[in-house]
Amino acid sequence: MHPIAEFFDGAAEIQAEIAQRDLDTTDHTAETARVIARHHPNRLTLTVSEVVVETATTKTFRVGNGDPLPPFLAGQYVNVFTDGTSRPFAISSSPARLDHYDLTVRRVRGGRISNQLIDALAAGDTITTTGPMGTFHHNPLFHGEDVVFLAGGSGVAPAMSMIRDIVDNDLERRFHLIYGSRDEQDVIFGSELDALAAELPNLTVDHVIAEPSATWSGRTGFLTAALIEELTGPLNGRMVYVCGPQALYPYALEQLTVLGHPRRRIRFEANGAPARPEAQPHWPADVDPAGEVTVTVKGRSFRTPRNRPLLDALEDQGVQPEAACRSGECSLCRVRVLRGQVHTAEEAKLRMSDAKFGYTHSCVAYPLTDTEVDF
Amino acid sequence: MSDFDAIVIGAGNAGLTAAATLQRGGKRTLLVERHNVPGGCATSFRRGRFEFEVALHQLSGIGTEEQKRITLRGLFGKLGITDKLEFVEEHDLYRSVVPGVLDVTLPADWDGAVDALEAAFPGNRVRVQKFFDLVKQTTYWQMAAMRGTPAEQVDAVVFRQGLRPTQDVLDEHFDDQRIKLVLGSYWSYLGQPPSVLRFQDMAMLLFAYLEFKPWHLRGGSQAMSTAILDSFLEAGGQVRFNTAVTRILTRNGAVCGVRLDDGEEVSAGAVVSNASTPLTYGMLDPDVVPHSVRRDIGSRRIGISAFVLHMGLDATPAELGFNASTSFVFADMDDDRTFQAMRTLDPVRGICVSSYDIEPIGFAPTGASHVSLMTLQYADAWDKVAPEDYARTKFAYAETLIDLLEKMTPGVRDAIEEVDVATPLTMMRYLGHPGGAIYGFDQDATESWQFRNSEREPGVTGLYLAGSWAGYGGFQPTLEAGARVARRILRFTAA
Repeated sequence: MHPIAEFFDGAAEIQAEIAQRDLDTTDHTAETARVIARHHPNRLTLTVSEVVVETATTKTFRVGNGDPLPPFLAGQYVNVFTDGTSRPFAISSSPARLDHYDLTVRRVRGGRISNQLIDALAAGDTITTTGPMGTFHHNPLFHGEDVVFLAGGSGVAPAMSMIRDIVDNDLERRFHLIYGSRDEQDVIFGSELDALAAELPNLTVDHVIAEPSATWSGRTGFLTAALIEELTGPLNGRMVYVCGPQALYPYALEQLTVLGHPRRRIRFEANGAPARPEAQPHWPADVDPAGEVTVTVKGRSFRTPRNRPLLDALEDQGVQPEAACRSGECSLCRVRVLRGQVHTAEEAKLRMSDAKFGYTHSCVAYPLTDTEVDF
Repeated sequence: MSDFDAIVIGAGNAGLTAAATLQRGGKRTLLVERHNVPGGCATSFRRGRFEFEVALHQLSGIGTEEQKRITLRGLFGKLGITDKLEFVEEHDLYRSVVPGVLDVTLPADWDGAVDALEAAFPGNRVRVQKFFDLVKQTTYWQMAAMRGTPAEQVDAVVFRQGLRPTQDVLDEHFDDQRIKLVLGSYWSYLGQPPSVLRFQDMAMLLFAYLEFKPWHLRGGSQAMSTAILDSFLEAGGQVRFNTAVTRILTRNGAVCGVRLDDGEEVSAGAVVSNASTPLTYGMLDPDVVPHSVRRDIGSRRIGISAFVLHMGLDATPAELGFNASTSFVFADMDDDRTFQAMRTLDPVRGICVSSYDIEPIGFAPTGASHVSLMTLQYADAWDKVAPEDYARTKFAYAETLIDLLEKMTPGVRDAIEEVDVATPLTMMRYLGHPGGAIYGFDQDATESWQFRNSEREPGVTGLYLAGSWAGYGGFQPTLEAGARVARRILRFTAA
C-alpha cells in the first residue's frame, strides 16, 4: 500500500476487499494460447488425407490434422509454405465442415509451386500453412443477400466454398455464378455445380466457354458487359465478386463499369504480384526491368533482376520474411528500405505512414537501384 | 558481457517509449515484438480505399507548446520525433446522445463546456462550475500525493473525494440524471461504469482532455508508433519482429536474459516487459516470483476488452450527420445495465463513435469518411461461442452497433463501402493479452494506485513492467509509463 493511502476515506474497506478476494488461479498463459490457437493460429501442420483429380490440370488436396480446424469465412485462403517460399490457396470446402480444408490447385504455366504440388503432393504428406486469412468473403453487414460471382479458371475455388456455405448453412442468399473457362475440360467442380444449381432455386450457374468444342451448346466467348447483363439482368448494386487470372480483373472492371456498376460494389480477390511491373505508369521509363541490381539484407548481398519481387528475391537467398497474400494486401511481408530506390506496385496497400518512414510490401516491391532492406 | 544492456518485450506504446528512452540514454537495447509492425494497439490497417485506425480515439496529454514541460509533447521532444508527427486538434470533447432523451456536444474547453451544459440543462451553471473545480482540485492534489508529497502538505479534498465512486460525486452535485450521464460519458475510456469507477480516475481523465485537449495524429497512431521505433533505430537499437519471447531467464533470482521462440537465448541485465502481467510472470521460473507478487496478481481481475467496427463510408461526415469527432451513444440512462450487458452478447447498449474526418487524419479519400464504432465487452461471452458459429455471431452483434448508430445518424448503413469487425478474440490474437483486455486489469477501486504498485515493485531483480497492466491503460499513460520505467533503469544503473 502507498504510504499516503491511509489518509484516503474508504481505503481500509478497499484494502479489506483485496485481502478477501478469491485468488484467480487460471493459467492465463495456457488459456490465452488455447483461444488464439483455436481461431487464429500462426501456423497449421496439416496432413493430406485425399487427392481428388478435378481436371487434367487441377487437383483438390483435402487436408486436416485430426482436430477441428480454425473456422473460416467462405472465400478465405491459407498460405502454404513449401520449398523456401509460399503460395496462398483459397479454401474450396464448406465452412460448415471444419474436419478438413480442401485446397484446389491448378497448374500455372511455368509456375514452380503449383506444379510441384500437383506432381508430388500425395495422401499422407504433410504441409505447413497459415490459419485462414483474407477479406474476400461475403460480409452480411453490407454485401446484401443477392450477389454475383465472376470466376475465371481456378478462381471458382472460393465461389465453390461460398456455394457450399449456402447449402450447408441453409442460407437464404441468392447467388449467381458466371464461370468462364477456356474449354469444357477445364471446368472445375462442373457436375457438382450443375447438380446444385438444378436443386437450389437461389443458385444460378452459367458456364461461359472461350474455346468451345463442336458439341458445346452453352454460352461462349468472354465475360462481356452484354453477356453479364443478359445473364444477371440489371445488377442494381448487387455485390459482384471477381476471382480468376490477373488479366480478368481490368477486363471485368471495364465491363462492369460499362454497365454503370459502382466500383464499391465490386470485390476482387488478390491474385499475386503483377506479371509485368514495368507496365505500370510509375515505372521509370529508362530503367531496364530485366537488368540486375544488388540487394543487401542483414549483412548479405546478392544480385537479382529488377522485375523480381523483393520477397521472391529474398526467398531465393534463403531469407524468408513472414508472408501470406503475396499480392500487396496483408502487409505481413513489410520491409524497410534503408538504401536505394524501390518501385512499389499499385497493388501494395501501404499504410499512410509507411511511405514517410520508408516501408514497403516486399511481395509487390521491385529494386530499381542497388538496395538495402531490413525487416 | 551481456549481449544487451536491456531487452524490451513488446513494441506497444510503453515498450516503444521504454526502448527508445533506454537506447537514447546509452543502453544497448533489444526490442522484441511478436507482430510484424510496431504499435500493439497503436496501429492501423488497410481495407479498399481506406486505412483504419485501430485504437486511438482521442490522444490526451499533448497540450500546447507552453505546456510541454509536463506533456507528451515534451516526451516526443526528448525522443526527437516532434517534427515527424502532425498533431490534429479536436475542438470538441465529445457529443453524448441518448436517443429521444438528450443530445449534447461539449466543447474541449472548461468554460465552453459549462456554457454548453447550461444551454442544454438550464439552471446548472454553478453546479457544473463547482464540479469542474472539484475535478481540477482532485487531479492536482492526486498528482501531488502520487509523487510523494507529505500528507500534511496535501489538500484533504483528495482524501475525501478521491476514492469515492464517480456516481456518488455526480449525485451529490446534480439532480438532473441527464447531466450526470453526459459528464460520466468517458467511462468507456476506463472500462468501468461510474458506479464502480473511482472519482480520482474520472477526474484525471476529464482534466487530461479539458486542460490539454483531445488530439489526433495524421497517419493515425501507426505514424506515432513508427516514429518512436525510428527514434530507437536511429540511436542504434535493434528490433526483432515476428519473434516472441518464451522465457525470461534468471540466475540466482535475478533476471539475466530471455529465450526467444526459435530457442535462441539472449542475455541482458534488465528486461522490461510490455506484455501482460499474468503472461510476464508466466515466463519466469515460479520459484523466483515472490509469494506477495503472486497474491497481488491473483487478487486482480482480467480487464475488459472491446468489440470494434472499422468502417469506410462513401460520404462525408457532414453528409452523414457526424458533427463531433467523438460521440457516445447510449440506449438509455442506465449505465450499470449497459455495463452488465458487456458480459453478454445481448444487443449493444453503449457505443463510442469516432469520426476521423471531422478533423481529417488522412485515412479516407476525398468525399468519403472513416468511422469506428467501439463498445467495451468481456471476452468470456465470445469464448463460449462455438467456432463454427463465430462469424455469424460476430456479424449479428455488429448489426446491433449499427442499429444504435443509426439512431444518431440515420442512413449510415447505406453508405458502407468497407467494414471490418474486431471482437475481443481479435484483441487477444493481436495483443496476446488474457481476455483480450485492452486496458489491463479491471480499473475498479482495488486497482487504484494507492493499493497496487507493480510498476515500481515488480518483485524480481532486473524485471521491469511497463504498460496498461502495471498502471493506467490508454495512450498517454502507457507512453509515459515506458519512458518513466526506462528513466528509472538509467538512474539506477548510473548510480
